[in-house]
Amino acid sequence: MKSLAKRFSKRALFLFVLLVLACTNNPYPDADSDKKILYRSYVEAPRTLDPAVAYTTNAHAITGEVYDTLLEYHYLKRPYELIPALAAALPEVMTLNDGWTSYRFEMRKGLLYQNDPCFELDGPGHLTREVVMEDVAFELMRLADPEVNSPIVEPMSNIQGFQDFSARLMARREADPAFSEQPLPLQYAEVGPIEGAKVEGRYTLTLRVSTEYPQILYWFAMPFTAPVPWEAVEYYDGDEGRPSFSDHPVGAGPYVLSEYDKQSRFVLEANPNWYGVLHPEWKAPAATYPSEGAPGDFEAGRLDPEMVGQPLPFIERIEFSREKESIPLFNKFLQGYYDAAGVIKESFDKVIHEGGLSDSMEESGISLEKSVQPSIFYIGFNMDDATVGSEGGERSRKLRQAMSLVVDTDEYTRLFSNGRGVSAQSPLPPGLFGYDPEYVNPYRLIDLERARELLAEAGYPDGIDPETGRPLELTFDTQDTSAQGRLRFEFFTRAWRQLGINVKIEATNYNQFQEKVRNGAYQLFMWGWIADYPDPENFLFLLSSEMSRSVSDGPNTANFQNPEYDELYLEMKGLPNGPRRQEVIGEMLGILEEERPWIELTHSEAYSLFHKWLKNVKTMGMSTPMTKYRDLDHGLRAQKREAWNRPVLWPIYVGSALVVALVIPGIFTFMRERQ
Amino acid sequence: MADWVWSNVVVALLLMGTGGVVFYARRSRMWTETFSDLWRRRRFAVLVIGFYVLVALLDSVAWVGGMDQGEDTVARYEAQSILDRLFAGSQERSYSAPFADVEFYGGAPLTHPGAHILGTDLIGRDVLYLSLKGARVALLIGGLTSLLAIPLALLFGISAGYFGGRIDDVVFFVMSTLASMPGLLLLIALIMVLGKSTVAVCFALAITGWVGFCRVVRGETFKLRELEYVSAARALGVSEFGIIVRHILPNLMHLVIITFVLMFSGLVLSEAILSWLGIGVDGSWGQMIDQARNELSRDPIVWWNIVSAGLALFGLILAVNFVGDALRDTLDPRTLRETE
Repeated sequence: MKSLAKRFSKRALFLFVLLVLACTNNPYPDADSDKKILYRSYVEAPRTLDPAVAYTTNAHAITGEVYDTLLEYHYLKRPYELIPALAAALPEVMTLNDGWTSYRFEMRKGLLYQNDPCFELDGPGHLTREVVMEDVAFELMRLADPEVNSPIVEPMSNIQGFQDFSARLMARREADPAFSEQPLPLQYAEVGPIEGAKVEGRYTLTLRVSTEYPQILYWFAMPFTAPVPWEAVEYYDGDEGRPSFSDHPVGAGPYVLSEYDKQSRFVLEANPNWYGVLHPEWKAPAATYPSEGAPGDFEAGRLDPEMVGQPLPFIERIEFSREKESIPLFNKFLQGYYDAAGVIKESFDKVIHEGGLSDSMEESGISLEKSVQPSIFYIGFNMDDATVGSEGGERSRKLRQAMSLVVDTDEYTRLFSNGRGVSAQSPLPPGLFGYDPEYVNPYRLIDLERARELLAEAGYPDGIDPETGRPLELTFDTQDTSAQGRLRFEFFTRAWRQLGINVKIEATNYNQFQEKVRNGAYQLFMWGWIADYPDPENFLFLLSSEMSRSVSDGPNTANFQNPEYDELYLEMKGLPNGPRRQEVIGEMLGILEEERPWIELTHSEAYSLFHKWLKNVKTMGMSTPMTKYRDLDHGLRAQKREAWNRPVLWPIYVGSALVVALVIPGIFTFMRERQ
Repeated sequence: MADWVWSNVVVALLLMGTGGVVFYARRSRMWTETFSDLWRRRRFAVLVIGFYVLVALLDSVAWVGGMDQGEDTVARYEAQSILDRLFAGSQERSYSAPFADVEFYGGAPLTHPGAHILGTDLIGRDVLYLSLKGARVALLIGGLTSLLAIPLALLFGISAGYFGGRIDDVVFFVMSTLASMPGLLLLIALIMVLGKSTVAVCFALAITGWVGFCRVVRGETFKLRELEYVSAARALGVSEFGIIVRHILPNLMHLVIITFVLMFSGLVLSEAILSWLGIGVDGSWGQMIDQARNELSRDPIVWWNIVSAGLALFGLILAVNFVGDALRDTLDPRTLRETE
């Protein structure tokens, strides 16, 4: 019995030591360490990957890689610039006399879709087929199809006959139930094309778009308008074990979704059929690393001569793993198991020091990339209100100007966003045409004395309302009822208390707040806007009369209505980027500066962390993935991972010794007693 | 009349009412013995509660003017309590640790170096001041809700227990219905309907909180109505109302006192939970804890907000529970039998 126990304890000890030595925290197979694989994370799987519907950043992280578009943004240049992608060149634009503008797109010849079983519908053994303009027209028809429920119907309605197609389709479906049972391409063919989307031959598409909406081009740089093969929509119907089309994207982009487990992992593999791989000799602008960029790109190593002109993509695989919690995600990034991460607020002060990386992070070879997002956060005045709105004329204008002069945005971002955010001087964020970095809004400076003077001129000396003899009372309506939200609003109300204005926070739930907005029963509110595309129109329309909440239930919640501004807006909207457009934008901003329907707060700023081995990193601000431009040094990554994750074994040895010291005598005692 | 005048009048009335109750209680041998026993056994807890009450009073007596408000010109027109006046001008820009001379992040010098015993919060408010102000809200929540819930429970409990029959059926049906609903969800729904004011929260807490005590009162009344002295009163022609007021209600008072004390701590805790869910009362400890919910995960950690609010809450609840237990030991006949 004694020898048995001895043999058992020896075996257990051997197994334990073997386990300890074999232990590693590397979540990936060793064989992958010498491959160019980008490791990323996600919190929640996208609801849909249908490019006509998907409108979230996490969905675009996949659809943006799988579906290539006719146009895309230049990777490095700022302000943002459109370049041809699947299109052979930027479209020819021709202004027609009848209020329409024509855009003629030419597609590259010889483009192929990714290999996919759905192409068997074209004939046995077919794995792919050529991308043609009919596929773009098909996708436009899907956008117009009410059953698809695309979120971009409103801007696309600027295409001639878009709404008409939608109405015809619905009428036909209602009239003939058998029609609805037919495949979509047949339904669309029977109803007839969208009048303003004319396909000529296999590679030409001419769009007729309202002259007032030249911004339509930006939508052709987003997956919504990417060519989609009808075969995929038909084949992936969710029946007979096939996934639905919303879970199985089939595109002509640089990557292919090869694994899609919503609960744990997505894998994107480089697409061997992508034109950048098949035809590097084309030197297509969206398939070759750019030779030009914005100031600072060269210094940041993004215009490395070895890289310039190289065919894309550099990275062969992208693996997304699910990380529900931010702290484990960040720890894995620090261990080298993710190549990039955001800065989590819990560790912000450890990671960031005085706007840059802390010494410990820099020593680890981590880089910080800051990018201002095309967004604006602001406090708005309800211009329909008798006290703060247009009705009050000069009195109200001076009141708004005075209130604007005491809101310290720098302090606000310091306290509530860890300093992330650029103080806004106008609605236009950096990176957009019309943004002037030298422009300082005189009413966004902090000047308490001037504010008090203005308030006195407005008829509220020391903030006293002459009607009541007490401090002027206003309400700040918000849908944020949280305790943290209250602190945020108290920051503003405290600033206005310095002027003698008593602003009361009215925090209600979302529905009650919407009710107030519908009834116009609000004075001040806080709101934000994130651009769909990088054009000043996408910000300045927020203050046009036609978008006024009280008129059309539009996003102009301030109900700002100024005929001069509207006139300039209409002119600006139709102008190409150039001196005249800049001049018009300047005049519009001048009106906003004086009228103060908003107190502009911040343009939000994203901080991203990258390991040194990840190259050519430049964040886009918008949800436009550009992984094909990135590269990585997997050798350096493997080295660093090994160095950062060497197991610290002594606590295990000490622990094991303690266990042995305590347990083994116990086992012997137990056995002795049994005997 | 201005709100603050009304507030002061209410405080004065409350003080007078408390004085009256004390005067009345001193004439009763049972209450005198009860309170002297309580004082003997739980002196420290009584003193702690006394401190909280004192702080709440300091925060309740307010008037306009008579102090320099610095840059806050609106405050000149607002009633400031004694507590507000003690901490006037203690504002900083942002976080500072207890007794610190500089801001916690950035290291900018403070306006009042070393003066913030419990530090300052995100927008620079003195944490000691906020913690002390929470006492008034806690006592208001506990007190006002109990004042709403206990009469409600007595009314329904005595009616059901004394009259029985259909009345008992109806009351029991209402009690069972309310008891079968998840308390927290009902509370949230009520606050959504009633609004987020202090009175609305007290009302919602009272609606969800009277059932338990009502059940006890009903059972006790069942027992009392069968006793000889109640039968004798009935035989002598005393009205039902008279019997309830003179014979039933006084014999339930020990239960009222015990329930009040025990319910009080439960209500203060419930408010903290509601604040955590974002539907509590402004200025409460629960709101302080909610505002500080992310501070413990900061690096370096900001601990003083949550610790101060948590300790203030813990101190009051513990003291009230000690007193409640002692009162139950003294007043509850069942525990008396056990101890004897």
